[in-house]
Amino acid sequence: MRTAYSEALIREGNRNPDVVVMGADTTDSLKTSKFGREFPDRFFNVGIAEGNLVTMSAGLAASGKTVFASTYAIFLPGRAVDQIRNNVAYPSPGGRGGLNVKLVASHGGLSVGPDGGSHQQLEDISIMRTIPNFRVMIPADTVAVSALTRMMASEYGPFYMRMARSKTPLVYGEGGDGSGAGAGATGADTRFEAGRANVLRDGSDCTIAACGITVSMALEAADLLWREKQTSCRVLDMFSVKPIDGHTLEKAARQTGRILTAEEHNIIGGMGSAVAESVSESYPVPIKRIGALDAFGESARDAEVPLLLQKHGITPFNMAQQAGALERLPER
Amino acid sequence: MGLDYCAIRSKVLRARKLVIRGTAAAGSGHPGGSFSMAEILGCLFYKHMRYDPRNPQWEDRDRLVLSKGHAAPGLFSNMAVAGYFAESEIDTLRAFGSRLQGHPDLKCPGVEFCGGSLGTGLSYSVGVALAARLDSRPCRVYSVIGDGESDEGQIWEAAMAASKYGVENLTVFLDRNFIQQDSYTERVMPLDSRLGDAEEISAMWLDPDRWRTGDKWRAFGWNVIEIDGHRIEQVDDAIKRARAHRGGPTIIISRTIKGKSVEHMEDNPQWHGKAPAKEMVPIINAELESQSIIAPSIIAGDMTNLAAEVVRCAEGRADYIHLDVMDGRFVPNKTFLHEKVKELRPLTLIPFDTHLMIEEPHRHVRQYVDAGSDIVTVHAEVTDVDTFGEISDTLRENGVGVGLAVNPDTELPEWSLGFLPRVDQIIVMSVVPGRSGQKYIESTHQKMARLMPVLRDNGFAGYVEADGGVNLENAASVFADGARAFVGGGAIVSTSDVRASIRGFRQAVATARRRMLLDMADGLGGSDLVERWIDLHVVGARPAEVRTIAQEAGYVAR
Repeated sequence: MRTAYSEALIREGNRNPDVVVMGADTTDSLKTSKFGREFPDRFFNVGIAEGNLVTMSAGLAASGKTVFASTYAIFLPGRAVDQIRNNVAYPSPGGRGGLNVKLVASHGGLSVGPDGGSHQQLEDISIMRTIPNFRVMIPADTVAVSALTRMMASEYGPFYMRMARSKTPLVYGEGGDGSGAGAGATGADTRFEAGRANVLRDGSDCTIAACGITVSMALEAADLLWREKQTSCRVLDMFSVKPIDGHTLEKAARQTGRILTAEEHNIIGGMGSAVAESVSESYPVPIKRIGALDAFGESARDAEVPLLLQKHGITPFNMAQQAGALERLPER
Repeated sequence: MGLDYCAIRSKVLRARKLVIRGTAAAGSGHPGGSFSMAEILGCLFYKHMRYDPRNPQWEDRDRLVLSKGHAAPGLFSNMAVAGYFAESEIDTLRAFGSRLQGHPDLKCPGVEFCGGSLGTGLSYSVGVALAARLDSRPCRVYSVIGDGESDEGQIWEAAMAASKYGVENLTVFLDRNFIQQDSYTERVMPLDSRLGDAEEISAMWLDPDRWRTGDKWRAFGWNVIEIDGHRIEQVDDAIKRARAHRGGPTIIISRTIKGKSVEHMEDNPQWHGKAPAKEMVPIINAELESQSIIAPSIIAGDMTNLAAEVVRCAEGRADYIHLDVMDGRFVPNKTFLHEKVKELRPLTLIPFDTHLMIEEPHRHVRQYVDAGSDIVTVHAEVTDVDTFGEISDTLRENGVGVGLAVNPDTELPEWSLGFLPRVDQIIVMSVVPGRSGQKYIESTHQKMARLMPVLRDNGFAGYVEADGGVNLENAASVFADGARAFVGGGAIVSTSDVRASIRGFRQAVATARRRMLLDMADGLGGSDLVERWIDLHVVGARPAEVRTIAQEAGYVAR
């Protein structure tokens, strides 16, 4: 994901001379240093100073720059929430909501692995989606990263994009051109617009709403459900947690009668909460949330990350089981 | 270009009054920190910053980032005076639906930074400055940070970043007023050195050996300038030096007094975030309007070594250096001419208050401007509507204050009345000019009684300078007459300890001012209001001193 982000940034840098990239001593890890080599004047590494990272970005944005600021999730919403709120989201020049800063974090969620619980950010979706003017994006694969980077660069306003640390299986297939348009591996209509969910697989008996690394798991879970129980499972990629696609959710609730959510985040306040908030107001159906159960993470070596996820129930098998076990509200 | 001292000073006064008006209307807000930075913002708004109130988003404008956002009333009041919005809008401060939020907000066009959460404005300024550099724009970024918010680590993160990136278009003022919300900074978290339990905060102001803040910033790679932040001439000079500095950012450590110009607020942590009561507003305004200026006249000293006299006055912390220029024609004797003014100019930044006792001043005024005068006063006896108009234009165009003087036997001429709204200073001579060591002419008191209403009715917004025979004994009565600037010859410059004499003068005037304000309180609300006014004074010896004056005057019982 980080490589895709880095390449997308360079494309944006070529396209727009006002694109500036900021880092905080994680620029090799996030691979934004490549942008720095390409555009040395437009790249600032402020050292291990995340508050300064965010507020300097705000200052640059206030003067017309499109700023991408990146580090690990645990050090962005996890550390600099005051600066994010008061310096980026709150100032609204000429009535436009917030400043033009894109906070892009990697190392979101449990899949951070070996670094342990101190580095596994499980609260960021919750923090970021409660801040007015922020839009929150969670890409499922490198294609989504490229497309969302493009989208954020071309749309005014503050964004938070949360990437996973480790390699994720492709959901949207090869040949992503960064345009955000086109058909993915599923053949479904997939576009990366804020406020939209992608229906990756149609289904009529239940829905799994996922984001980030859980999207590919959800597709596996759908396969399992069909194979084992002939249950037809719809899979939604909720890459835009805020704004959330209430229309697609309502349709899923109405047509499939039950919704399971899965994310590598605390179930309090995360994508699952956002889905529940939306559906309970539009078309209430039984909902089950999978995620960290108000708990912290812990170390797991790379090969053991599935075990860590499993401890919190984040597996295709559990997703299939929980989705199948949910009481289904019949279509009215 | 002159200092523009008088223009800045009068606008700073207007802004201070608006702070009182706004916070009193709101019933909350932060006057203390607004007043400590008043002269800093004055020099920025009325001299150095480039901006256009009708086009607040002009891309090449200079930016002012108020990091210590709680001082919003100070920012808004200057924006009103500068023309961003009507002064009356200050009445909406902190009200529902107002653009003038509790802390600076982009909702109000012209505000550059949403301050409030402390410690972030410097980082923001670095970002703005870097953007200007990327775009090759000529704009400068001015930032005002507080000493309390310097507790925040992010200030120092930004300090390192500004240094690393060499942002030379960034000038930061540290409003070093020594007070944060809980108490004195040097008790809560010392920036200089820890304050002992029994010490007053003024101890920190007075002892440069204890100052460490500059060292901190120097260690972070900044160009450091240290000044008295209430001295317009020092703020002005520091800004010029900051602009000339190349290769990195500049911080101007401005030692200031929280609540400056309102005695009961000065150095009083209670006034960090509290609004004045509405009934006190007229009294506070009167206090703001009656700030005094001590202007020692160097010809009372050693005429063979005037340079030494200037230095003595500067070290004695005079407000002005009063220069009596005599040509031997308008007055019988000669002192010195413009060459001497020019020669003395490099000795101090203190404003030169040049009093031209010469014939045909309109033919010479330019020379005194070029020599570095900050105020030039000419005599009514040798000017008329045409020549004074010419003089006034020349002075104004060059940022020099405009003064008009009248001799003891002269009344303010009819032709001068139309000029009064744009005159900065009226010198009322209380001796016959030309000889030193004369006694104060007592009939000047009656003359002042005639003059003050005329000045008021004709829109005069400057101040009257009393010149001649003013001393410690009569300073109070001269103040009571309406004079706000005091030329001290024999009473200051002829004494062996100029500094002590100036301090004595200030005390005499301060006592007179306290009495005037008590009198006003008595008139507005009787002994009840007098008691409450006295009770506002809590720091040091002030409560006892103010009460004694009130008792002596019979406003309260002994």
